[in-house]
Amino acid sequence: MRRGLRFEGVAVAGIGMIRFGMMKDRPAVHLARDAGLLALHDAGMTLADIDEAFVAYITPGSMLGVKAMKELGLTGLPVNHTENASATGLVAFRDAAWAVASGRADVAMAIGFDKFTDMVGGGGGGSARDRIDAPILPAAYFALWAQRRMHERGTSVETFAKIAAKNWNYGAACPTAHRQTDHVVTAEEVLASRPVADPLTTMMCCPPDDGAACVILAREDLVRSRQPGRRIVRPLASALQSESYSRGHTFVGPVVGPSTMTSDTARECYEAAGIGPEDVHVAYCHDAFVNEELEYYELLGFCAEGEGDRLVADGETGPGGRIPFNTDGGLIARGHPGGPTGLAQIHECVQQLRGDATGRQVEGARVALAHLVGGGSVCTVNLLDAVD
Amino acid sequence: MARVPIEEGFFRIPDDPGEPPRLLGSRCPTCGEVFFPRRFVCAQCLHEGTDDVELSTRGRLWTWTYSHVPMFGKVDASVPGYGVGQIDLPEGPRVQSILLGGPDDFEIGMEMEIDLEVLRENTDGDEVVIYRFRPVAGAEGSA
Repeated sequence: MRRGLRFEGVAVAGIGMIRFGMMKDRPAVHLARDAGLLALHDAGMTLADIDEAFVAYITPGSMLGVKAMKELGLTGLPVNHTENASATGLVAFRDAAWAVASGRADVAMAIGFDKFTDMVGGGGGGSARDRIDAPILPAAYFALWAQRRMHERGTSVETFAKIAAKNWNYGAACPTAHRQTDHVVTAEEVLASRPVADPLTTMMCCPPDDGAACVILAREDLVRSRQPGRRIVRPLASALQSESYSRGHTFVGPVVGPSTMTSDTARECYEAAGIGPEDVHVAYCHDAFVNEELEYYELLGFCAEGEGDRLVADGETGPGGRIPFNTDGGLIARGHPGGPTGLAQIHECVQQLRGDATGRQVEGARVALAHLVGGGSVCTVNLLDAVD
Repeated sequence: MARVPIEEGFFRIPDDPGEPPRLLGSRCPTCGEVFFPRRFVCAQCLHEGTDDVELSTRGRLWTWTYSHVPMFGKVDASVPGYGVGQIDLPEGPRVQSILLGGPDDFEIGMEMEIDLEVLRENTDGDEVVIYRFRPVAGAEGSA
């Protein structure tokens, strides 16, 4: 019934993002404008070159997408709205890539923006308290998963803390990351931070963020002729799923459903691309809560089930490791505004595949993977490669 | 003073205050799968139309955590901390719920029972209640 999408003849023309963080006094549409202009400049284009836009945001607000695009110009281009919770940005990327691959657009823009500072507290108003499934923080949902992991696999909180420290330290090397420390973060520091939902501490959780990010995709021949001498980065394949039913499915409450969703989606994406996890050099995942990253090492196929802890102990997912994860700090350190998150992942994938990721470059990276889950729930896995 | 549910259709409140509430579920007449909450289309076999069933008042704790932050940011700051868990009921459904008890009271596999918690009084003077799960007295965890 389902299958992943394989993209032919599509390349990244430009990328742009603003550093994520708390920007209470800046309108969301201005964040979008700044990221969009950066991507247009990177592509050597203006909005007149864009055939179609895919706008990604989860902040409530009717017409926001069109209003944001108007900040970049009024060219009459079609604007498509996409919303898939935390996965929104990657789904916009997928839609834009498919728009070009299908021939309906020569150039398509995926642009994400969100202001979590506008949402904090908003979801917990009087009406939300009158719902059966409210109000429990997302951290608690994912902590339930962490507890089960510790019970079944004997995973230690130190393993979770090591992954978080890795992402904090990657973030310090990435100019667009929200959290940039002035010292090397240790697992001990992570463990000593304030408890949120056992076993998760604040430093194991993503911060609330505002931000914007943009990726422009175009026909590969157009990118080659406009950007001679630059290494070409291409979307290879994409898969997207919502939940499949299995016994134990919890209908009321959880943000994200069965973990098999990630392994199923990854398999579809690998099959569409014609490659396997052994061919991937750098990966990005939904590490909103640190135990997720450990699970995704296994569910995305980078090691066998139950082997994730060993991968952490051996440093295989950090600098110089076999499969570095979240080299921009991930959701934990780069930040997680919502709609822009997936496009920030692609921004970092492209920097890595172009060889531009100063201070955190994965040597010889030619294939990158970007994964997100989104509440509701959904999962998307996307593969990109680089060719000269 | 009457007790009214926080939201209709999820649980039944017995007239006898000593009786536990009953979660309202659905059973598929074709494949037999049981769901909470009620639904019309069977999630397993896609049969249209299910039978109403009331679910057991006890189950096993599949996983749990203890949340140290107030519910939903600062809105319910009066709540110092609370357990959250998923309970496997004998009919099949796994139910997520806030747990009654302290941070050291829970263990995966332990037997849990349903109870009602009074959230507040509404403008009609009724008690607005929601279901919670608590460890059965003397229960111990197992695998």
